[in-house]
Amino acid sequence: MPSTSRRRAWLSDYTWPLGYVAVIMFLFLLYQAILPNLIDEVSGPVAAWLPVATINECLMWAIMALGLNVVVGYAGLLDLGYVAFWALGGYTAGWLMAAPFNWSWNFHLFAPVAETYPGTHITFWLVILIAGCLCALLGVVIGGPTLRLRGDYLALVTLGFGEVITQFFRNSNDIDGYNVANGDAGIPIIDPIGLGPFSLIKGVPASLTNSGSDNIYKILVLGALLGLCLFVSLRIRGGRLGRAWLAIREDQLAASTMGVSLVRSKLLAYAVGAFFGGIGGVANAAGITGAVSPSGFDFSKSVLVLLMVVLGGMGNAWGVTIGAFLLAWLNSNGLRQIGVAVGAASGKNLEAVLPRYNFLILGLLLVLMMLFRREGLLPEKRTKALMTMPSRIEMESVGAHIAEAEAKTKAFTESTSDADAEIAASASAVSPHLEPPPERSARSVKDTDR
Amino acid sequence: MTAVGVGGTRRKSAIRLGPVVERILGVVLLALAAIWLVWNLLADPTRFSGSVLIGLQNGLLYALVALGYTMVYGVIELINFAHGDLFMLATIVAAALMVSVLGVGHVGAVTLLPLVAALVGCMAFGAAVNVSAEFFAYRRLRTAPRLAPLMTAVGLSFVFRGIAQQDYVNGSAQKNWPIEWGGPIVEGVYLYKLLLVAAVTTPLLLGMRYIVSRTKMGKAMRAVAQDQDAARLVGINVNGTISFTFALGGALAGAAGVLYFLVQAQTYYDTGTQFGLIAFTAAVLGGIGNLTGAVVGGLAIGLIQSINEGGAHGLGSNWSQSVVFLILIVLMVFRPEGIFGRASTEKV
Amino acid sequence: MSQPATDASRAGVHEASANVLYADHITIRFGGLVAVSDVSFGIPPRSIVSLIGPNGAGKTTFFNVMTGLYQASEGTVYLDGRDLTGLKPNRRAALGMARTFQNIRLFNLMTVEENIMVAMHTHLRSGVFSTVLRLPRQRREERAAADAARELLHYVGIEKTQGELARNLAYGDQRRLEVARALALRPRVLLLDEPTAGMNPRESAQFNEFVHRVRDEKDLSVLLIEHDMSVIMKISERITVMDHGHVIAEGPPEEIRNNQTVIEAYLGKAGGGARKTTQS
Repeated sequence: MPSTSRRRAWLSDYTWPLGYVAVIMFLFLLYQAILPNLIDEVSGPVAAWLPVATINECLMWAIMALGLNVVVGYAGLLDLGYVAFWALGGYTAGWLMAAPFNWSWNFHLFAPVAETYPGTHITFWLVILIAGCLCALLGVVIGGPTLRLRGDYLALVTLGFGEVITQFFRNSNDIDGYNVANGDAGIPIIDPIGLGPFSLIKGVPASLTNSGSDNIYKILVLGALLGLCLFVSLRIRGGRLGRAWLAIREDQLAASTMGVSLVRSKLLAYAVGAFFGGIGGVANAAGITGAVSPSGFDFSKSVLVLLMVVLGGMGNAWGVTIGAFLLAWLNSNGLRQIGVAVGAASGKNLEAVLPRYNFLILGLLLVLMMLFRREGLLPEKRTKALMTMPSRIEMESVGAHIAEAEAKTKAFTESTSDADAEIAASASAVSPHLEPPPERSARSVKDTDR
Repeated sequence: MTAVGVGGTRRKSAIRLGPVVERILGVVLLALAAIWLVWNLLADPTRFSGSVLIGLQNGLLYALVALGYTMVYGVIELINFAHGDLFMLATIVAAALMVSVLGVGHVGAVTLLPLVAALVGCMAFGAAVNVSAEFFAYRRLRTAPRLAPLMTAVGLSFVFRGIAQQDYVNGSAQKNWPIEWGGPIVEGVYLYKLLLVAAVTTPLLLGMRYIVSRTKMGKAMRAVAQDQDAARLVGINVNGTISFTFALGGALAGAAGVLYFLVQAQTYYDTGTQFGLIAFTAAVLGGIGNLTGAVVGGLAIGLIQSINEGGAHGLGSNWSQSVVFLILIVLMVFRPEGIFGRASTEKV
Repeated sequence: MSQPATDASRAGVHEASANVLYADHITIRFGGLVAVSDVSFGIPPRSIVSLIGPNGAGKTTFFNVMTGLYQASEGTVYLDGRDLTGLKPNRRAALGMARTFQNIRLFNLMTVEENIMVAMHTHLRSGVFSTVLRLPRQRREERAAADAARELLHYVGIEKTQGELARNLAYGDQRRLEVARALALRPRVLLLDEPTAGMNPRESAQFNEFVHRVRDEKDLSVLLIEHDMSVIMKISERITVMDHGHVIAEGPPEEIRNNQTVIEAYLGKAGGGARKTTQS
């Protein structure tokens, strides 16, 4: 490759990541340094339309969306139960970063809390890893039985798993007499995020609680986690496994015939996607809600994440991130703000009303997207084609039609008489002894005329 | 008895054990279920009988909704996610019609006329909504990859819920209605409720069976279910047949809505999701695409659920949903063709 | 001069160890119908064998059993003497069985190189971690794979399509890409399902050359399902004829050309009768 195009490729490879880092840094500085120094007329609306809490939520949702993108966008497996990983991630944080059960014991591991605080307290950064691995395991457990299921049944089984798991947590205060996860009450007061060596930098707090100023730093933390997920997504996608996923998504039969292990690749897709889900779940519990409770996990969350993946363009990590930002913003703050704005303009106060339409709006959005722009906002060039190609029945074009096995001999001979005539014609071209059988073709024409 | 079916999928199950092993496992499962039933019966016979009655009542309603799922799936292989929520909307329409418009309070002989009116109205409503959904949304996606109509159905389900959530429709909270029932009560079960449900669902179910197996339209439905292109070639109006199927399904959901409202006297925007999933499990249990299967499945699930909730040795209502879902998962993985389906090679 | 099928078939059938691919008494039943009935069939190393027969004879069904897409109701398939029973298609591909499809099944939305590189899946070793971290070994592997893919493109003669999506290729180039993809598996035996469908005579002639080249240079055996008699007669070392699920004849092209049973299978008894009347 000549050096100019190599440089150009390098540049295009790096534009998006650089842009991403720039956006995160900008958002951080916006609240940390810029806004406090601006006049109220400017800082007010900015804070209203894009509050720090919403930014953090958007980042967290984007992590989840990237996870689902691995399963749905890369490997083409429709998973409607993604909320299960959210829940498991959140509860892992609840188990390992709080004092839920009046335990008298005391286990600390780099946690930014007082040594005398009872319960298990492991640092946020380790808990992310643990939750990721636990969720990956759960992903394999959920994915395992579904490996041979076709799309619609797969969706329902994953949905079923999602519901079973959330109901498990709702009933978790009394599983056979044991309190596993406090049931409906959930686990409150999750530890703050410890910043370890970073707190040595001037101005950086020792740990991030739910205070306003600490939340600004969470932009960097969540941004870094999201960046990590983006990085891992894109790297895997460019390598051997990513190619296998794409092949499976398009034609799993051919993929298998070409040496791709369907079982391993699909399970890996579930595992990687679930891993991200675990990260997001911990980030949500520790960074955003500060607690975990079953009421936060329901089917509509799975659908919302799915919508983000679809909106962003299935299979395109950057598109999905943007789609996630947009929808999370709408869901958490945007609808309300739009309601306020419309209210200011028209006199009617829609601030409370508009958010209540969010199911309706999300549903309509999903329907309209499927009808008119299935490939999403920023489709990967393949997604557009994939979503407009008619679905290919697996065994079709493998050549041996099952119908041929079930057809009666008579019908079978009639239907293939044309092909036989053709073969006979080519056979006779080879052997001078044979003559093309005009009688037979005339007869077959008469038969079909009837 | 040959089970009546509309197409139906023959599919490979996800985990293939040998046929002998499968047979043994099936028998073992049935035996365990039977043992559990008898255990509950012996532990507390009166509670058990109460549960059976409730189970029948619910099961018939599940059967009605399951029929809708199964017929649509049989014809175009689409799981109509929004079907349960259509049922939920029908309960709201029924409430509006019967209480607000027709002033039904105490249920007695005088409510016959309002009941018929509500049935007609809600069935028409259900049919109309379902046919519109098919026309505006699903029809365009018939050739699209399976993901598209599925997600559209999910989206529609959300639209229905969103509509129901609005204050001018039903609001975000469960709404209780002043419907009173008289008559004998057995173990907490109003016998008249059960009678009403049975009296309405039985003719409907038989009617569906008749339509599918004896009428020309029914034959068209079965043809389209087998092979759309072949049906078209023989002169069947495929679009019309599919619309008709959706209309039937929607009408059944409407009828189920009226009955549910009368029996439970409450409307809630979230009813459809759970109910829909249970009804779908019933359809799969019986063999998706199979009408008789939907009825058998509905009754079975209704009984399992009610004994689980009310029986002496059930897990309680906290776990009902999980039990049903676990049944669904096990079915899909080991025996997707259900009870009456045929386990042969994949439909090409 | 019709010979009973069993006699003729002994000519080319050796035991599993002597053949690269050996199918032993394969029977395939779908419900009540027998699609393939007690077929035994061997492919010696470095040979070109054709499988022909009228439509519905069971040829592609047989292919599918060899590659693992169907399970035979009875019988065993051996590759290099190894029993393949129970092995999934991807395992068989890893052991050296490659195929092309009757109706091309490329990964249309991937580029030509990616299509070929998918087939290298079993030969590449990088796992998730080395991919994410782009360890030197992974980078080397990927580069080597990309180079090998480009070489294969060159080998089948479609190097000009570099970088194109598979769906954008001309039909003939798509067929070649399918072969290139199959070759990426470094197979021991190459199963080609109607590879010359849609080709004109010149392309067919090129194809004949190509098959010989592949067999010689890549040290493998080729099994073809074909309908084009000119191709079959020119390149096959041995022809096996199937009809209604049975092997009705087997032998070198000259024998098959004159075999009465074969002629009848294609033309029906009336065709055979017509021949007799014209001769006399």
